[in-house]
Amino acid sequence: MKTIAIDLDDTLNNFTETLQRMQFVRDETHALSEEAYQDYLAKLRCGWTESGDLLSTEFSFFRYKIHQQCYERARARTDGVRFTQWLRQNHWRIVICTYRDLRRAQDCTRKWLADNEISFDYLFMTGNKIGFCRAWGIEHLVDDEAINITLGERFGVNVYYPAAERLPAPPTNPVRTPAAARAFQTFDEIKPWIQE
Amino acid sequence: MDPRVSLLKEFYRGLPRDRAKLETEEYGFAFLARLLTDGVTLEYGELTPFGLVHKYKLACIPERRMDDFLLAHVENVCNICLYFDVRANDTFCFNLDNNHQVNSSEIIPEMEVAVRELGRHLRGLGCEPLIVASGRGYHVWGRLEAAVANERLHDFMLRCGAATAAALHRQGHDHHQIKFTFYPDPRVHHAVSLRLFGSRHVKNKVFSRILTPQGLLDESASWEFFADHLKNRTIALAQFQAAHDSLPGPS
Repeated sequence: MKTIAIDLDDTLNNFTETLQRMQFVRDETHALSEEAYQDYLAKLRCGWTESGDLLSTEFSFFRYKIHQQCYERARARTDGVRFTQWLRQNHWRIVICTYRDLRRAQDCTRKWLADNEISFDYLFMTGNKIGFCRAWGIEHLVDDEAINITLGERFGVNVYYPAAERLPAPPTNPVRTPAAARAFQTFDEIKPWIQE
Repeated sequence: MDPRVSLLKEFYRGLPRDRAKLETEEYGFAFLARLLTDGVTLEYGELTPFGLVHKYKLACIPERRMDDFLLAHVENVCNICLYFDVRANDTFCFNLDNNHQVNSSEIIPEMEVAVRELGRHLRGLGCEPLIVASGRGYHVWGRLEAAVANERLHDFMLRCGAATAAALHRQGHDHHQIKFTFYPDPRVHHAVSLRLFGSRHVKNKVFSRILTPQGLLDESASWEFFADHLKNRTIALAQFQAAHDSLPGPS
């Protein structure tokens, strides 16, 4: 069976735009002053990372709570929704493959997928999507992450990524190998690529 | 039935057995197809950062399949983690983890102090703990003779945890070095599972040895201690209630 893995954030949805533009409201569960809340929010929006070595901190808890709101309220790409429905009609196995911590985000992720009528077979989380695709024999990955765009070819995974200003330039391949990454403007462009 | 499976079923009798997280080095769609039979469903899967160790959150597990999973667990074919009941439980567990990103499986000095102090605190309250070495620290279990509402269990653990953090401070340690989590947690009881005793660490394959005041036991002695704890150290409800009532509340 033909299988494709598809990322969620900034691939099927507008996660970063949601993070940057959405109004977030502090509540008592944040356990932060308004000043500290706004400071953390500004840091999160500019991509600040903590310098320390600790896994679980006040900021990591804050970041998760804000991200969860983004997961719930991000807008689905209509062409992405149509693409998953086309895959389903054409008997593809669809794996949603995400960096999200699904221990906590599974419910809201499944609800978002259902609300947006996005077809899929399995939900997987991993920090190593190329490794996952290689291990599971998945030849096609739709994902926006620079490291996956860069490494896909080396490990035989065809990576397709949404063209956007913030993304790196595509790898230069004078003679394109089967697994070289390709940028797309709309998901429709991927259809012939995965049938080559 | 393997006597170790019987022990696990008895110790964790209150935890739902129709759902579990399976940790294994097996993966692939053919494996998944075999796994998802008899009505078993996959909520989500995970490729962990540790080699090719995968985790699968499974639901709708029939009793016979859970018995198979538990047998595989004691035979070290895989690890089984169970979830807590959403309302009330007859077990509770403090999860003490090394809170560092680098070398997170090391037992740091703060951990030794914390687990010793927490153990001493619980024994002082008449609640004998079962302390199991986990990958990044310790799981400190208590087993009750009957289920108690999750809110009460969590409040009890929160107060014991605060007492442990205070003891760390008194001895000149920073409690941020350790991540304390308490289960069942009414906020995440369907999200977080805990490995059952008898597991092997996914990274280093070390058996989940039991820690006593005299030190860590080997695998065989750990199973003997586990059986003895189950038989003789289950906490009476009246004892738990008295212990909880004796703890200072929020100021």
